[in-house]
Amino acid sequence: MARNVLYPLYQLGGPQLRVFRTNFFIQLVRPGRAQPEDTVQFRIPMQMTRLDLRNYLQSIYGVPVAAVRTRVQHGSNRKRDHRHVRVKKPDFKVAYVQLAHGQTFTFPDLFPEKPPDTEGSADSDLQDYLLEQEQQRQISDPRRGGVPSWFSL
Amino acid sequence: MAASRCWRLLPPSRRLSLHTAAEVAVAAPEATASDVAPAREARYPPIVASLTAKSKAARQRRIERWQAQVHAAEAVDEKLRILTKMQFMKYVVYPQSFALNADRWYQGFTKTVFLSGLPPAEPEPVPEPAPDLASLRAAACDCLLQEHSYLRRKRRAHLYREGEAVASPFLGQLVAALVGLLSAHNPTLATAAVDSKRPVHFYWMRGEEIIVSGHRKGRVDALRYQIDDKPHNQIRISKQLPEFVPLDYSVPIEIPVMNCKPDKLPLFKRQYENIIFTGTKTADPYCYGHTQFHLLPDKLKRARLLRRNCGNQIEVVFRANAIASLFAWTGAQAMYQGFWSQADVTRPFVSQGVITDGKYFAFFCYQLNTLALTTQADQNNPRKNLCWGTHSQPLYDTIEDNEVKGFNDDVLLQLVRFLLKRPKEDHSQVLEN
Repeated sequence: MARNVLYPLYQLGGPQLRVFRTNFFIQLVRPGRAQPEDTVQFRIPMQMTRLDLRNYLQSIYGVPVAAVRTRVQHGSNRKRDHRHVRVKKPDFKVAYVQLAHGQTFTFPDLFPEKPPDTEGSADSDLQDYLLEQEQQRQISDPRRGGVPSWFSL
Repeated sequence: MAASRCWRLLPPSRRLSLHTAAEVAVAAPEATASDVAPAREARYPPIVASLTAKSKAARQRRIERWQAQVHAAEAVDEKLRILTKMQFMKYVVYPQSFALNADRWYQGFTKTVFLSGLPPAEPEPVPEPAPDLASLRAAACDCLLQEHSYLRRKRRAHLYREGEAVASPFLGQLVAALVGLLSAHNPTLATAAVDSKRPVHFYWMRGEEIIVSGHRKGRVDALRYQIDDKPHNQIRISKQLPEFVPLDYSVPIEIPVMNCKPDKLPLFKRQYENIIFTGTKTADPYCYGHTQFHLLPDKLKRARLLRRNCGNQIEVVFRANAIASLFAWTGAQAMYQGFWSQADVTRPFVSQGVITDGKYFAFFCYQLNTLALTTQADQNNPRKNLCWGTHSQPLYDTIEDNEVKGFNDDVLLQLVRFLLKRPKEDHSQVLEN
């Protein structure tokens, strides 16, 4: 329900634990291996369970969830720094969420390659004009033959 | 390698010439004797690939040797033993699976096309006296009421198994009652074997993958599957049921192809005994299947699926169970007759299935047209297995005050039609009589 918080012990007859502003933050990631169309991959905090994730997605984002499967990814402890001391990469939990009602999801291409043709010709002309102006400002007296200006009295 | 080095020490030509000279000396008088010159015999053993090298040709030769062993085996038990003796990691396919869209995956694993509705019924040549529907309905209602209201149970059911505790004995008694009442109309039922909770196992290979890690990394490996099923009841007969459509019937529907590994279903690998079993051993004359009855567990009941936003998975559960269980049963029946992936079936194997959760019934018919599912055998194989199925319909609406309300006669009629199916020879016998 929340990270780094002591959950109150439940006893028979007690109230249902409700958390209104949760401490959990999740990340939607691109799957490393090919997944079915209805599967979305998340990195979630280690303290979050699959029930928590289902409630999280359904209450906050209104995403209908059919099934959730989780696993814990071990972060490597193999690398060593200059003092031969092991450097640990943090562990994290991965959740595979299958969407309900036949919905599908593909991770979008965040950095599409810009093809050169669609670049506006006006933009490139402007850039060239500005570059020329800069060069003209900086060109010194041609009679000096390229000798810098500080080489004088 | 050492042998070839030794050969190179001696000039080969001299050896050859010695050999040929001797042969010519012997053969010359024979040749002159016969009018037609005989064909030259091969002097050296055939040049074949190595058996133990790490090469594709060597692997192919090992596979061919193994397949030749299976072809050469005479008894079916021996064939099955050679096919299943090597154990490797295999996917365990559960017919009653909680996985989403399992039926589309299972269609790919078993090369099955799913067609909604039941296969076209053959017109009855001899009008038989119709079975008395009232007595059958009374028997079914009696079974229902017995389990739901009359019987007082001493022990409460196990946790989350209340539905099964009532539905399981009801289904067993319904099957027994209907088989008993209809055996007068269908002589095959009178002599059939009715099993209760007998295991059915099937092992097959389909598709290939490249091994990702381990000492066999980078090599091509077949994907192996195993189904271990326990139908609630099954009826076995001694003669085969008639086919629904011809063996090479081509359906324009494509089998769904999934873009990822079966692990994403989720499907897990295990290594244990590879078993192929229809419910009895190979020597049993009742080796052909008639009908299977399956009971869905409480884990997959409708209310639970709806609570978890899986309303569209209700029918998927029925379909996946039917495809997997009936494929395993028909496949095992075909292997009991000596067919396997390199010796494909010459006649279609047909079985029927009824899947229920106690209230809702769905009917399925399966026709096995091909067992050649391995990559090698599937290259030029246009045949596909076919599975027909209906949507699930309720048998009754409610049970109140020791009375069954809203009894659905269509479901009962369909059950009766399924049980009245008989092999073709019996028809001709009836005609003669």
